[in-house]
This record gives sequence, C-alpha cells and structure tokens, in this order.
Amino acid sequence: MSVPNEDNMSPHTQLSSHFFGELLDSIIVDVASECHRIARLGLDRNLEEEEEELRLSAQARVTVADPSNSGETNGKYVVDIFGQTHPSVANEVFDCMNCGRPIVAGRFAPHLEKCMGKGRKARVKATRSSTAAQNRYSRGSPVSAYSAYSNSTGTNRLSNGTYNHTVEEYSNGTCEEP
Amino acid sequence: MATRNSVFANPKPCEHLADYKLRHGLSGYKSIQKWLKASPYGKTGIKMCETKIPTCRFRSGFHQGRLFLCLICSSMSCSDHTLLHAQSENGHDIAVDIERSELYCCLCSDQVYDPDFDKVVVSKNIMDMPSKTHDSVVDDLMRRSSKRRRLNPVVDLDLKRSKLLVSMMDRRAKSCYPLGLRGLNNLGSTCFMNSVLQALLHAPPFRNYFLSERHDPETCKKRSSDQLCLACDFGVIFSAVYSGDRTPYSPAQFLYSWWQHSANLASYEQQDAHEFFISVLDGIHEREGKGRNSNKDNGGCQCIAHRVFSGMLRSDVTCTTCGFTSTTYDPCVDISLNMDTTNFSSVTVANKSVREDTGRSTLLACLDLFTRPERLGSDQKLYCQNCQEKRDSLKQMSIKRLPLVLSLHIKRFEHSSLRRSSRKIDWYLQFPFSLDMTPYLSPSIVRNRFGNRVFGFESDKPDISSEFEIFAVVTHSGMLDSGHYVTYLRLQNQWYKCDDAWITEVDERIVRAAQCYMIFYVQKMLYCKANEDWSCTPISTRRDPFVPIAGCC
Repeated sequence: MSVPNEDNMSPHTQLSSHFFGELLDSIIVDVASECHRIARLGLDRNLEEEEEELRLSAQARVTVADPSNSGETNGKYVVDIFGQTHPSVANEVFDCMNCGRPIVAGRFAPHLEKCMGKGRKARVKATRSSTAAQNRYSRGSPVSAYSAYSNSTGTNRLSNGTYNHTVEEYSNGTCEEP
Repeated sequence: MATRNSVFANPKPCEHLADYKLRHGLSGYKSIQKWLKASPYGKTGIKMCETKIPTCRFRSGFHQGRLFLCLICSSMSCSDHTLLHAQSENGHDIAVDIERSELYCCLCSDQVYDPDFDKVVVSKNIMDMPSKTHDSVVDDLMRRSSKRRRLNPVVDLDLKRSKLLVSMMDRRAKSCYPLGLRGLNNLGSTCFMNSVLQALLHAPPFRNYFLSERHDPETCKKRSSDQLCLACDFGVIFSAVYSGDRTPYSPAQFLYSWWQHSANLASYEQQDAHEFFISVLDGIHEREGKGRNSNKDNGGCQCIAHRVFSGMLRSDVTCTTCGFTSTTYDPCVDISLNMDTTNFSSVTVANKSVREDTGRSTLLACLDLFTRPERLGSDQKLYCQNCQEKRDSLKQMSIKRLPLVLSLHIKRFEHSSLRRSSRKIDWYLQFPFSLDMTPYLSPSIVRNRFGNRVFGFESDKPDISSEFEIFAVVTHSGMLDSGHYVTYLRLQNQWYKCDDAWITEVDERIVRAAQCYMIFYVQKMLYCKANEDWSCTPISTRRDPFVPIAGCC
C-alpha cells in the first residue's frame, strides 16, 4: 500500500490517513511489547531448538530435490533390507475366512468385498440374470467397468507397469489367479 | 505469540526501578489498581476517567501515540515526552503503559518488569471476572496445578515384564534389524490400512501392551460369543510381526474384522488412513471400554486405545461484551490441524488468483492456528450466562491433558463451497522430530491471553511429560482419491520406509522432506525407554526352524 503524499491530500483524507497510522502504530507497539516481555522473561527458551529443526528441514529439502542425490527413488526397489524382493501384486495365497476359497493376497480385498456382499458392485448382485448381465458388461468394456479399481491398484506400483495386466484379469470375470 | 517455556527468568530490575521500589514499595501499584480494566480479550488497560480522553500534558493537538501514566504524580506523557517528564521531575522515573499495563522506565526508555506489579494486575483481573468464570481460568493464572493427576499408566505398559520379550530375544532374527520390522502385503488398495498399522505396531505403549499379552483372547471369547474383537486381531498381528519372520505379512483377518465392524467403510476402494485410524481405535474401545472399564476416578476409559491415545481438549468461549468465559472439556484421540493457509503468496495466473506454496508452512504454525482465539461470526452468537443473552464470542482451544502418544492429522483437503469440489493441498509442511507441547497446554494459553504475567515466587519446572519424540510419519502422495500411503518409522534412531511389503532404510533427510499426513509422537520418556528395550540381536549363522503362521490370520 503506497504511502499517501501529505501535501496533496484534503484535510479529510489527511485525518483518516492519520487515524490509520495511529491504529497501525498501536498494533505494532502491542506486538513489540508482547514479544519484549516474552524474550526478556525467558518465556521463549526453545527458540534455538526450533530454529535448528527448521534448518535441518530446509537442508533436507535441498538435498532431496537435487537429482544427483537420489540413492532412494520413489520407483522401483531392487531388494528390501532383508534382501527380499516382492512382486507388485502380493502372491501369498491363503484361505478366505468368509468363504474358504484360496485367494491371492493382492486380490483379497476385491474378493472379500464381493464375498461379504459389500461395496457398490456386489450390492447389485441379487439374481443369476443380473450377475450374468454384469459379466457380459465387464467383458465388453473392461476399462469403464473397472476403471476405479484399476486406478487404485495401478497407483500402488505405477512404475512396474502391471496396470494393463490387472485389467485383463478382471475382464475375464474371475478374480483369482490359477 | 505462543510462549514456549513456562520457566521464566526472574528479571533483574534496572537501577531506576530498584530505586523506585525501595522508596515506594507497592504503594504506587496499588494506587492504580482500581483503574486497571481487562477487556474480554484479556488485554489489561488503564482507564482513569470515563468521560475524558487522556492526553499528553506536553502536547497540544491529537498526535500522541502511546501514553504512559506516571506512578508518582499520575500525569500522562506520550512516548516522546516521558524522558522530559522524568528529567523535569526528580524521581518520576517509572510509568505504566495505559494500553497494556506494562511498566516503563522513562530514563532507560524501555519496558521493565516486576513480579509484584504483575501480581497486582492479575489480582485485579481475577477480582473483575464475572463470577462463574472462576475455577479453570483462575487456576491457570494463579499457576495452580491441576487438582487430579491422572494415574500414569506407563507402569502397566512396561515391556521388561513381558515373557514374550525373553522368548523373542532367544529366537534369532534373520538379520540384525530391529524386531517388529516386517512388510505388510497390499491386499488390493489397502495401503491406507498398512500405513496406519505400521505406526500402531511401533507405538511404544500400544506395542508393549500387546506384546506382554495383556489382551487375553481366552478371556475375550468367554466374555462374549461374538467373534469380532479388533484387539484380538491386533494381538495376532503383533505376534506375527514380532515373530522374527521377515517375509511380508498379510493382514487379511484384520481387514475382514474391520470391515465387519465398520460396515460403512467396507468397500474395495481407496480410503483415508486417518478415517481408518479413528475407526480402528473406536472398534477397540467399543469392545473393551464399555461399562466396566469406564471409571471417572481413573481419568476416563481404560481401554488400551484410550489409555495410549486419548488426551483432553479444552475449549474456552468468551463473551466479547462482558468477558465471561465458559469452559468445556472434550476427550480426543488425535488432533486434526488445518494447514496454515495464511502462509501463502497470491499469484495471478491466467487472470485467476492462485495460492502458491511459500514452503514456509510449519507444524508449529498449525498448532498456533489451532490454539489461536477465533472470533465466532455474528451468525454464531452464543448465549452468555452473565449477560443473559446471545453475544458475539471468542473461542480458544488448548490442550488440557496430553496423551502418551500424540497423533497429529494434517487436513490436506480443501473444500471449496464455490466450486463444490475438494482438492488436496500438496504443500510442504515442516515438522520437527522433537516437539515440546508446553505452549499449547491450557495454562500457557490462558496466561498468554492475560499478558503472560509472572509472579516470581513459584518455580515452574519444565514438565518433561510435555516433550515428545517422533516415531512414525504417514505420508501421502498423489491425488485426493487416488494416491499412495507410505509410513516412515524411527527405530533405534534409524529411519525405515514401510511401503506395503517393502521395508527399506532411508536417511532422515528423506523423511524431513516428505509430505506428512499423519505424524505420531510419543512422550520422550517412553521413547528413550523403548530405545533401551530393543537392541540389535546378532546375525544368526544357522536358520532356526519355526512354524509358519497360517496365512489368513
């Protein structure tokens, strides 16, 4: 906000400008007085620790942003700290506790949703005919029917390129891997 | 500005103030006490006359700035003329700022401090308070400690008494990495669940409870035939994760149980980690906390979820007309913080005003925002018991009691009522590894409201139970409805990244630079103790035979 030129102002403007100045000064002095008390009475002891934390964080951001520093990337891992490697879709197999069928871990949630009769798609299912209609629909346009699902599983491992593979599986109408 | 430390330095008076005290003692302070008047906002000013505006005796005209009342002769001088007054009248060195009731030395031209003066001011504040305000606010101003100390449950959650600890130390882990570090398989968009589970698996008091087998599945089944118990499921997960087996674990049974408990959240889609966290604690409480466990003398619910995570928030609503303050207390298992959107710069892009991240948002600023007095809109007038009608009010939050584990949730979602859409705020938020919560506790907040007056006769030792250390951060990357959660854990001063099945070591700088969504702090005492309990086990040269745990439990 530009400072008005006092000479060119009407007395009315001068007066309101003056009042504003007084109010602003008063607020500034209030803050200064409060901070003075806090500093003088040692109520602000942890300032150094706070500043150290800020400095460390700022430094960290710089280091991480520097591309030459990426030892740790968001994308692929080769091995974890135990020397293990894992597929993009967890392949442990166990029995579903609701229906007893063996399920692949990475597909357990979508299976369970249908199995328990929950979720949007499952609620539709009531008669054999509607199920059949659903299967027909899914085979015809895999992307639109399962776009929500494929997005979600896709983002977990975007860089591993299993996106398309996943969609194909669903379009066959089965969720389990042989 | 929130104060960071309740331990103050008893200020050394300047020679003029010391001299004044010798000669006049408290008489000057007491003589002006009747003119001290606190506004409902807490600021104490001096008002001598209802009908006349105070003016500087050395000036004519309206420009005067701040006025100071001489303690000897009660004359007013503006800041430009206080020195003149002290020089012309011998001994008239000390004055009081009439806007803030702060002592001012005219010869030093500086604000000075005297605990005796502060005491006089606070006494008047208390005298003037509308009658029903008393207890909570008065206690805080008079620095009276809270009447009841909550029984420290740390004693119960001591891991050293655990038989399991001994058996685990015997079992040779696959590597020298800390026990309990184990990947969690993604069961299909369940990273929201995995990320929170990792944090819970390493929350010291929560972990100690389950590893000590304090939750007995047998007793549980006897109590009710209903199979569903999230605490039992947690027990199973803890055993599995701390077994020494390093292959990723599938928390399928837990998902099943949780979906049975939270039917409305039971669907295969991206979910919110914070919602899951609250839902899980609620599930544990529902089973454990009802009825027999709720005991007012013990400070509330004794279920493990509440014993570890529950704190108490205080809300003060002040009438801006008469200053009457009504105080209410509410328990909470976490604190959701709005991002400090004032810390942005407005940039014009394609004719639209866009808010740009300055990169300067901090967690402490969010906490400041949380405890800042908030003016309730004129459409939100509240009934004032003193005025006996609806009035404009101020609301201020503070923390009455801190939990053992402090969970902070950053509200990264912005709802625009204009565009009727939500979006995610991706800005960086700086967060500390060591956090002192003292300035956000109720006594600090209330004293700040009334000008941070200090008396000098009480020694406020810094309360170490307000100091916290970080142990887990849940980060979110991506969009509002499709993103990925990852948890960083700090164990034995080493940070680990838990990305579903993948556990990797990371430098602390990666963590500092990450986009935090939920941050978990534990009381410093418990953190240090946890570090002692869990030292590295040596690398085993031969594999121990162990029974693989059935996959679905």
